[in-house]
Amino acid sequence: MAETHVMATGVEIRTATGIPTGKMGLWWFLASEIVLFGGLIGAYIMSRLGSGGWSEMAAHLSVPIGTINTFVLLTSSLTMVLAFAAADKGDQKGIRTWLLLTVLLGLAFLIIKGFEWGSEIGAGFTPMAGSFWSFYYTMTGLHALHVLAGVVINLLLFLSALMGLLRGREHRVELAGLYWHFVDIVWIFLFPLLYLSWPKGGL
Amino acid sequence: MARERVHPNYVAVWLWLVGLLIASVGVTTLPISTGVALFLIFAMAVVKAVLVALNYMHLKFEHLLICAMAIVPLVIFFILWIVLYPDIALH
Amino acid sequence: MSARVEVEERVSFFRTYVFSIDHKMIAKQYLAIGLFWAIVGGLLAYLMRWQLAYPDTEAPGWGFIGPEFYNMVVTMHGTIMVFFVAMPILLGAFGNFLIPLMVGARDMAFPRLNMLSVWTFALSSLVLLISFFVPGGAASAGWTGYPPLSAKPIYTGVNWGLNLWILALALEFTSFLMGGINFLTTTANLRAPGMSMFRLPLLVWMQITAAVLFMLSVGPLIAGAVMLLLDRVVGTSFYLPEGGGDPLLWQHLFWFFGHPEVYVILLPGLGIMLEILPFFSRKPIFGYRPIIYSTIAAGILSFVVWAHHQFLSGMDPRLAMPFSLTTIIISVPFALMVFAMIATLWGGSISFPTPMLFALGTLAVFLIGGLTGIFNGSAPVDIYIHDTYFVVSHFHYTLFSAALFATFAGLYFWFPKMFGRMMNETLGKLHFWLTFFLFNAVFIPMFLLGLGGMMRRIANPMQYDFLQPLQPLNVFATIASILLLLGQIPFVINFFWSLVKGKVAERNPWQANTLEWSAPSPPPHGNFDTVPIVYRGPYEYSHPSVPEDWLPQDRPTMPTLRQSSGQAAAV
Repeated sequence: MAETHVMATGVEIRTATGIPTGKMGLWWFLASEIVLFGGLIGAYIMSRLGSGGWSEMAAHLSVPIGTINTFVLLTSSLTMVLAFAAADKGDQKGIRTWLLLTVLLGLAFLIIKGFEWGSEIGAGFTPMAGSFWSFYYTMTGLHALHVLAGVVINLLLFLSALMGLLRGREHRVELAGLYWHFVDIVWIFLFPLLYLSWPKGGL
Repeated sequence: MARERVHPNYVAVWLWLVGLLIASVGVTTLPISTGVALFLIFAMAVVKAVLVALNYMHLKFEHLLICAMAIVPLVIFFILWIVLYPDIALH
Repeated sequence: MSARVEVEERVSFFRTYVFSIDHKMIAKQYLAIGLFWAIVGGLLAYLMRWQLAYPDTEAPGWGFIGPEFYNMVVTMHGTIMVFFVAMPILLGAFGNFLIPLMVGARDMAFPRLNMLSVWTFALSSLVLLISFFVPGGAASAGWTGYPPLSAKPIYTGVNWGLNLWILALALEFTSFLMGGINFLTTTANLRAPGMSMFRLPLLVWMQITAAVLFMLSVGPLIAGAVMLLLDRVVGTSFYLPEGGGDPLLWQHLFWFFGHPEVYVILLPGLGIMLEILPFFSRKPIFGYRPIIYSTIAAGILSFVVWAHHQFLSGMDPRLAMPFSLTTIIISVPFALMVFAMIATLWGGSISFPTPMLFALGTLAVFLIGGLTGIFNGSAPVDIYIHDTYFVVSHFHYTLFSAALFATFAGLYFWFPKMFGRMMNETLGKLHFWLTFFLFNAVFIPMFLLGLGGMMRRIANPMQYDFLQPLQPLNVFATIASILLLLGQIPFVINFFWSLVKGKVAERNPWQANTLEWSAPSPPPHGNFDTVPIVYRGPYEYSHPSVPEDWLPQDRPTMPTLRQSSGQAAAV
């Protein structure tokens, strides 16, 4: 029989499994994204194991900048989940504050990444400069596109909250949050795979 | 029926995440073999990912079906990795 | 999603036919685009067959074909038939139309996402269409797009055509990912009260299994396609050996998706067959739950068989045995389904209107396709038949079973529900017999050609001495294929004529059990007058306790009846 799940704000959503429909839809989407990044990362790992000389190329990446960017994204995950906690309580001001911070941190990540790419390309490390670089730009590029999409979604949510349109629809913050945390998790793996995998002239 | 949402301590989780991040970078400066270093780094990455998944994405509290939607894709692409290994990694 | 029925007084033409969020209209949009591409794909098949039978001559109605153009014809025929005919019709049209109706919902869970999915598909179609007209022509590296041929424009002489091909496929994948989200969420959450998972029609089980397979397998190919595009446009070397890349990487990424993809196409076709066969036997289906478990098993196995496409690729030979093993094992669940179908027919009160003929045709053709798959799946045998016409015939048998015979079975059967009118039986039967005989006439010779050594994708078999004695088979297949294409004319006439002049259909002209037949023909926005309540499974045909030989899922439970034998039967 159908159950309904009631948010703290009183919104009812019909569901036969007990899982809110929007959340289920989003997780199906994330399932396909997991395989997408998993496939790309797998191709990278196997290619790296099969080739030599990638560590020399990877050594040109800036670990400090990568670390800072990772910190930025981790913190944006915190602000995102705090926005969700606010949404669950119906705290409109909290939603706005934390969503805005998440948007700003996401933008910061993209800007830092852009500068990073700029300086790497300026130094001659283009995608054609070697197999490592091909994978580096593809992986961080695909990830950055996902970050950009997340920033846009969060910005739209923030603007809705600002205009009072989010009342009764706070569950959207949770859904956007799930996507954002996924993007964060991908970076949690990309960072060591690209920046940290060359200790002492390793692979 | 309304369900009381449980919110773990998000800031505590964040502190762990940042700590693990610093530790991962720190590992690269230690005088240990590459294999051990990589194992530590990626083990910590897995812990960070699991922390985010269980706490920020609330998988700790979700329906089994949702957890399956997170885990089954992992199994799927691991199958791909296993078959890619002899062909691509071993050339 | 609330149970409100929205009554709209005057809805504009655009909102009804172009920008509709109603799953039924979206289904028809997928059907229309799919049927358009079916005509294009069929024409390409004609050109292919002409070139093979009469190499380097002028095809009537077209002109000279020749080897370079032939490569493009082969590529686009495959791409179009798989991605722009089979997928949109079997999943986009039948899935979208039937799933909400069969589960008892008023529409899909995310109607606007549904509209976005069909518009993305329309866009991908447009991109593919444009690729025919750019300088250099359309893609010509095979529907599988293997590098290095596909990775450097100079190798094929095709530049933008292949780039647009990649883009069209990426858009198509996105469209079906969105569709898949809808199918799965709707089936999980929007089922009517009383509709447990094990009271769902098997067609719905097949559709959602197909959706899961698609969603979990397409990711690596999207990644791979991005890499191929970068190789072509930017000059990276993901797949080019001279730059440190590996062509085998593409093959794995492609087939990791490519194999589940063929089941994504097959399962909805089997689902249609699984509805129609018990229906026209007036018997419950034999082995409802075993069929479901087999489907799930086949779905899981489909993720570990892909390298059987690569036995001769130069991949690590140690992979041959495990993949042969899994491939042979995957035939077991499908065999179970075939046996269940035969057992369903056994002892039934069988009638043979057009949908039943096509459903039986699906079964027969699938049997041959499945059996010949076992030969291909065994690595030692595959050494001889890989890349020959034996494979071509095998996959045409399996694909046609789903994408052609099952599709026609479904169209003839659900036409009254979709369009409110009946199709003509005489034209339908003519269509079936022409199609069935001519299809076999085209593809049985190809098994022989393959065993005789004729390779795939060659434009001129006559240039090889050892193939020249086999040429009469090629000519025979070509003549049969031209007749097969012409044999579709009765269907085209029937379809369009019936749309306008067919006998008006009542709510349940076939007297079937599943929920879509409780709605008007065609159903309005919101589908049902009131949300149905489900009391039983979908296959209660010839139930002993009711006088009719059918018993709908939503007919309320009857009081206990006593039979003359003294047995009580509660339904």
